[in-house]
Amino acid sequence: MTTSASTLIGRVTRCSLRGFVGALRLPEPNVPIFGAFCTAEAQQGTSHVVGLIYDITIQDDEFARQIATTEGVSEEQIADQQQNRQIPIEVSALAVGYRRGNRYQQALPPQPPLSLAPIYSLPSAEVVAFTQDLAFLPLVLSAGNLPVDELLAAALQQAALARPQAERRPFLLEAGRVCSRLMADDLGRLDTLLQGLRPVESGA
Amino acid sequence: MLASRLPGLEAALTGLNDLEAQALAARLAKAGDRWPGARPTQEPPSLSYDPPSPPAAYHLLAADGSQIHPDRHAGAPFYLINIGSLQVNVGSGTAPRIHSRPVLFHDPADLYDEYGGLISNELINGRRDAAELGELARLAKGTAGQPTLALLDNGLILWLVLQVRDQPRRPVDEVLQRYMGHLTALRRHGAAVAGVIDRPRHANVVGLAHLGELPVESINDANHKASPYLGLTDRALFNRRLAAGQRSAVFVHGSPVNRDFEAAGHQVHFYYLKTAEDSILRVEIPVWVASDANLLDLTQAAILADAAATNGFPYSLARAHELAVIRQAERQQVEAMLAAALLRHGLPARPSTKSTAKRWLTGRRRHRV
Repeated sequence: MTTSASTLIGRVTRCSLRGFVGALRLPEPNVPIFGAFCTAEAQQGTSHVVGLIYDITIQDDEFARQIATTEGVSEEQIADQQQNRQIPIEVSALAVGYRRGNRYQQALPPQPPLSLAPIYSLPSAEVVAFTQDLAFLPLVLSAGNLPVDELLAAALQQAALARPQAERRPFLLEAGRVCSRLMADDLGRLDTLLQGLRPVESGA
Repeated sequence: MLASRLPGLEAALTGLNDLEAQALAARLAKAGDRWPGARPTQEPPSLSYDPPSPPAAYHLLAADGSQIHPDRHAGAPFYLINIGSLQVNVGSGTAPRIHSRPVLFHDPADLYDEYGGLISNELINGRRDAAELGELARLAKGTAGQPTLALLDNGLILWLVLQVRDQPRRPVDEVLQRYMGHLTALRRHGAAVAGVIDRPRHANVVGLAHLGELPVESINDANHKASPYLGLTDRALFNRRLAAGQRSAVFVHGSPVNRDFEAAGHQVHFYYLKTAEDSILRVEIPVWVASDANLLDLTQAAILADAAATNGFPYSLARAHELAVIRQAERQQVEAMLAAALLRHGLPARPSTKSTAKRWLTGRRRHRV
């Protein structure tokens, strides 16, 4: 989700240096998307961890489960569950860098955010600033148990969309070159990733 | 075994249909006003009624309430009533409109009776019941002229009035008046109203079936108590008798409080409804719903449709409860806000020493080494 202003996504519920998880209660159109950049405050506001959203889960709810497993549920009941009932949504983000002062560091943050730290979407201009340097790519590729190739493709596409039209293709080409170096020993994976970096014309 | 007596009870219920109207009337007269059994209506007591089709579009209103009772030991005495409600435009496919309306009572006139005693929990619960019905009347005003069913998550008889012996009469009467006023408003708006009781434990129809078997001269308290069907409930009887979707005949509620309702034009009737396998609801309705075929059919059809996805209990009432419920954290928040407001006015709100001491003692007792 690349926007001109930062939107409050939710608040941190648990975290580590490698990433953080937050809960949110947003209606569907505002839920952040896979691969979006976000940021959470750490070290009492002196640093801001940059995260890539790699998972969005809707927590278990017994009432919804009961209705889901039976016949006879009405349109109004489904609309009630989806629009009126605020079911907590959990967003997981992988830490890929941090900002201290005006400088972005493409490394793991010195400290994770604290519980209940607000999580904001990263505004477009900040996404562009952060992705000037692609040194964060190895951090993504080294993350275990995550769909890293898809995450990387989605994140780079978001970063391209945050740029003016004319800069999108050169950015993705450069990102493809960096990925080729990093994944030279696994051509199968690289091929899939490069497919995912083909320029898209409209917004995500 | 209780279950082995069910066939006999069922036969007794069917037997009521063969009894001459006069013979049954004579038995009911002998049983007297204080006998708590169900009274029959025009509908033959043992008949079952298939589900009618609901109108293509109608409004379903549901309300439920919860409360925070005053705590004598809290820093600031207050009580709170929260009413949750749901307004479903059935057939529209749109999300229901939901409301949650909390009202805080902290005025001494609300908190203390004329003798200076703290308001009883029963009276607060009675005011909550009246507020639930008031919310339904408010919503029904907006749907006047269109088919509407207003649902309550308890019986229609005001429970407070049954406990009147322990209560000062004047505030109870005030609540009852308000309650009747809301019923009158619902009727004026053309809405059907029904109070739904899940897992009912009544045995009023069981009592009626037994009464039909007793010779008139043997009708007395001792024989009521010696009923062979003692321990069996209406629910067990109708769970055996009704197919899913069917309702029982309509009966008149035998509670002595029903006289107050009758005087106000709202005599309470009821029927049993099988919403799903092994799920029997008791549906209480005022006489003007019971005697209007369209309104009566709407109660049965709309409750069945609403309960189809939720194991037999109406969805809208489950949601109204969810909207009404006050969680412990919210309760603490209200208390903290009140204490802060008092402090701003130079009135420090201190919990009693007893409640403070209790808080010390409920903490973790062991020290880690």
